[in-house]
Amino acid sequence: MRKITFSDATREAMAEEMEKYPEVFVMGEDIARQGGIFGQFKGLPDEFPGRVIDTPISETFIVGGGVGAALGGARPVVDMHFADFIGVCMDEVFNQMAKARYMFGGQAKIPLVLRAPDGLAGGGAAQHSQSVESWFIHIPGIKVVAPSNPYDAKMVLKAAIECDDPVLYFENKVLYKESGEVPEKEDEVPYTIGKARVEREGKDVTIVSYSIGMKNARAAADLLAKDGISAEVVDLITLSPWDKECVLNSVKKTHRLCLVSECVKQGGALAEVAATVAEEGLEYLDAPILRYGAPFTPIPFAPTLEKLYRVYPEDLVKGIKGVL
Amino acid sequence: MATEILMPKLGLTMTEGTIDEWKKKVGDAVAKGEILFSVETDKLTNDVEAEADGVLLAITVPAGETVACKTVIGWLGAAGEAVPAGSSSAPAEAAPASPEGEGKGAAAAAAAPAAAPARAAGEYVLATPYAKKLAKEKGFDLAQIPATGYKGVVVAKDVESFVPAAAAAAAAPAAVKASPLAEKVAADLGIDLADVKAAHGRVLAEDLLRYIAETREKKTDDAAGEREEVKPMNGMRKAIAKNMLASVQTSPTVTFNLGIDMTEMKRYREQLKAKEIKVSYTDLLVKFVAKALTEFPLLNCSVEDNKIIYKHYVNMGVAVALDSGLLVPNIQDADKKSLTQISAEVKEMAKQAREGKLPPEKLKGGTFTITNLGMYGIESFTPIINQPEVAILGVNTMEDKVVVRNGEMCIRPIMNLSLTADHRVVDGSVAAEFLQRVKSLMENPALILA
Amino acid sequence: MRTLPEVTKEQAKKFYETMCTIRCFEESVKKDFLNGEIPGFVHLYIGEEAIGTGICAALRDTDFIESTHRGHGHCIAKGADVNKMMAEIFGRKDGLCKGKGGSMHIADFSVGMLGANGVVGGGYNLATGAALASKMILKNDNVSVVFFGDGASNRGTFHEAANVAAAWKLPVIFVNEMNCWASTTPYRTTTAVENISDRALGYGMPRVIVDGQNVFEVYAAACEAVERARRGEGPTFIEAKTYRIEGHFVGDPEKYRKKEETMQIFHDTDPLTHFLDKLPAGVEFTQAELDEILAAARAKVAAAKEFAVSCEYPDESEYFKDVYVD
Repeated sequence: MRKITFSDATREAMAEEMEKYPEVFVMGEDIARQGGIFGQFKGLPDEFPGRVIDTPISETFIVGGGVGAALGGARPVVDMHFADFIGVCMDEVFNQMAKARYMFGGQAKIPLVLRAPDGLAGGGAAQHSQSVESWFIHIPGIKVVAPSNPYDAKMVLKAAIECDDPVLYFENKVLYKESGEVPEKEDEVPYTIGKARVEREGKDVTIVSYSIGMKNARAAADLLAKDGISAEVVDLITLSPWDKECVLNSVKKTHRLCLVSECVKQGGALAEVAATVAEEGLEYLDAPILRYGAPFTPIPFAPTLEKLYRVYPEDLVKGIKGVL
Repeated sequence: MATEILMPKLGLTMTEGTIDEWKKKVGDAVAKGEILFSVETDKLTNDVEAEADGVLLAITVPAGETVACKTVIGWLGAAGEAVPAGSSSAPAEAAPASPEGEGKGAAAAAAAPAAAPARAAGEYVLATPYAKKLAKEKGFDLAQIPATGYKGVVVAKDVESFVPAAAAAAAAPAAVKASPLAEKVAADLGIDLADVKAAHGRVLAEDLLRYIAETREKKTDDAAGEREEVKPMNGMRKAIAKNMLASVQTSPTVTFNLGIDMTEMKRYREQLKAKEIKVSYTDLLVKFVAKALTEFPLLNCSVEDNKIIYKHYVNMGVAVALDSGLLVPNIQDADKKSLTQISAEVKEMAKQAREGKLPPEKLKGGTFTITNLGMYGIESFTPIINQPEVAILGVNTMEDKVVVRNGEMCIRPIMNLSLTADHRVVDGSVAAEFLQRVKSLMENPALILA
Repeated sequence: MRTLPEVTKEQAKKFYETMCTIRCFEESVKKDFLNGEIPGFVHLYIGEEAIGTGICAALRDTDFIESTHRGHGHCIAKGADVNKMMAEIFGRKDGLCKGKGGSMHIADFSVGMLGANGVVGGGYNLATGAALASKMILKNDNVSVVFFGDGASNRGTFHEAANVAAAWKLPVIFVNEMNCWASTTPYRTTTAVENISDRALGYGMPRVIVDGQNVFEVYAAACEAVERARRGEGPTFIEAKTYRIEGHFVGDPEKYRKKEETMQIFHDTDPLTHFLDKLPAGVEFTQAELDEILAAARAKVAAAKEFAVSCEYPDESEYFKDVYVD
């Protein structure tokens, strides 16, 4: 099977959707002339002139204008440059984008995708490295996705664009460059937002993650396998509304749950998973729920410090062995 | 496979023992029948023999320590065999490892335990939710399951690997194979079936009888010679003992005594007799007291969880003495029955009780009890309430006594009534008024129609 | 004096009808709010009727408006059904938003009313985005209007939207209802520019200042701005001078200003009572004609109230609907 990068996978998704739906367009900072700071829009402006739009540095317009365009009948994709900047336009996200449908009694449809590159990139420090997904899973009315590999990157983005609800699409900056198998278009299997995937079956522990956290999950599962411990790895893919059933079914099988993500552990996106398993599947747990995430600090700049911010597969292995 | 060495239960009354001396060191070969250790009880020191050939793998309770019967005190097995870790019943780290045991003990502590865990009665068992669920499904008592999990928590695999038969042999009498009759008798007599040796596979009633005889002999030899005899209580005795104890523990009681002038009652009885209606004083009391009870519902109630249950009927219990004990059948709806009906029923009940043919329903649902010791010349006593009733009327002997009537001495038949009432619901004044009412009814029998 | 577009008597009558409907609607809402029949809080448009009426008269159903928390007038002027509006304000299931929005989140997409907004200054980007979709993506000639007060003009969102709208010549009209009060704060204490629309110049956006009490003048400015927008020449800033007659919300004790002064202004500028004075040449009405229109509006609103209270509250089954499409 052909291998392409995560970045190219998202570009393919965009191109296919723009081809299919003339009302799809994309706007953001530095996406047309530059092709996106991570190259994720390269080539699109030539392919779809006038539909890849460089905006001023105006996040409230990028998102608010996207919501307005959706209300006006278009199917916008808007780009956040860095996920860290969503705070600038938070009102547009949680009071406008998320609420329009409900508060207008279902009259509005907001088929909008907000793309947000996130995560540690090496020296991005406090305002250019964050993973902020957990803020948004607290908001009813928007959907939150965070794929972990090129194939999902493509299929999830296509599903997000075709979705009539607003979707926050978190794409990890480190993953952009990673290659993975992506089938030809005719062999693609569409993704349904809200579905998790058991990426690897196991029986001793369930490791749940998403986005770049999946690298830790997979690596930990490999290490554990060497010691005869069989880990089931679940890629959540959609963080809201998330696939409770998939996780609960896995925990019912393995009786242990380990959660890992790059975001700050306190109030992290997977805290909801932990809480739900405790609420609805406590009787299946044979060990405390393990959670791995970043410490409760802003992200430091110096490499020596940034290193401490990260989670490593060995952390998971140690923790899991401790409860087996 | 390593087997546990348990603190033996040497006799009926032993609950704990002190290791007097280990006769073998860890690593020593032991032959079946060889003395392994000695135990001190409050009575004597016993040598205990090895039950199988093997090597003493571990000592988990060193000499000088006192532990409950059936606690694991060491392990016997094949040379070089690992001891299931945490094997200490008293958890390994709690019991100071004997010098001999140290090497293996350390290894043992690091591995996984299998012995019955020493947990204080009622101690919260740390277990994962899933382990609890499994234990519940399998009907295991969590407290019996050794923990190998993180932080000493019982985890699912502990439950899954738990063999109740082994544990039960040590702890749960139900796991001993026994005939239903043997089980019942053993339960009645408070005998631990695990102590009883079966002649043919499972414990039968005859094994139990032999055991009782042996332990009686042993007890006799041990302590008292011929001057005392130990007999187990029979079922009725045990029930009475239990019920009476429960009653005094339940009800704060006060007993009230009052003399009744029986002149009119005697005359009334004679009048009936003249009409060929023969009734006893007990029959008369049932009738008159039932009438009074309809007017004093607090004497005819019961108490449950801070609630008072008033009964709109009077089921009058009448205590019947038997050789083997005492039964209290009751006359249902005594307040609505005629004297002749009551009389007939009292006679029939007494007969049935003596013949052991009393229908069980007659023994249930009483609301008040009359107990008569008058025939023994008793003048006053403090009866114990038949729970869950709240009062009992003791009837004493009727005796001619000198009394003062209208300023003059005269002789009258006087009978004392002794009413014991539960002060939780019946205050003194209420009890006194009730007793007064009984008195007034009995001294003016015509009032029974009023 | 601006040259006004030709207005027929029929059009003028429609203006007066709309203004009367808004006035009666607001008076009715005020009464029922004070009676405790309406939940939440309501903000009234009394005295400002000429602005919404004049602007919306220049729009088609397919054009969009973004309204404000003081939005009943915009909604009526854009053509929303007053029965369903009233039912919404009463929180009933037959309301425009099934009783889920209420006064501050009222919308009628069927007539291009894309919603009131509980967030002051929340509408600029939405209207600008809708205009972007029309011009750059869907390639139609729909126009978007955003209404906002002088208070909302101090939100940063104004800057971002105005800049983009002007830079890309988007068909969006910024209609500033300069009513002199941001809740309890007089605009002079927070704002240096004389006219809110002075700011438009900084974005390279044409502006026009009109008498917000004169529906014909507002209508004329709107027509011009709409034509500009449809021609692809970009946004216009219309500043309509008006005055907030009511408190910020119904129940506002208005400790911050003098009632007599407000009433004097209302007396002098009420777009209804001064309607005859503002009539363009060639269009005439008798007072009796106007009275009849007002009476009809009153009856229409009374019927709306009757309809609203006859509707049920939403069923509990409605609770989880409309969070998502799928």
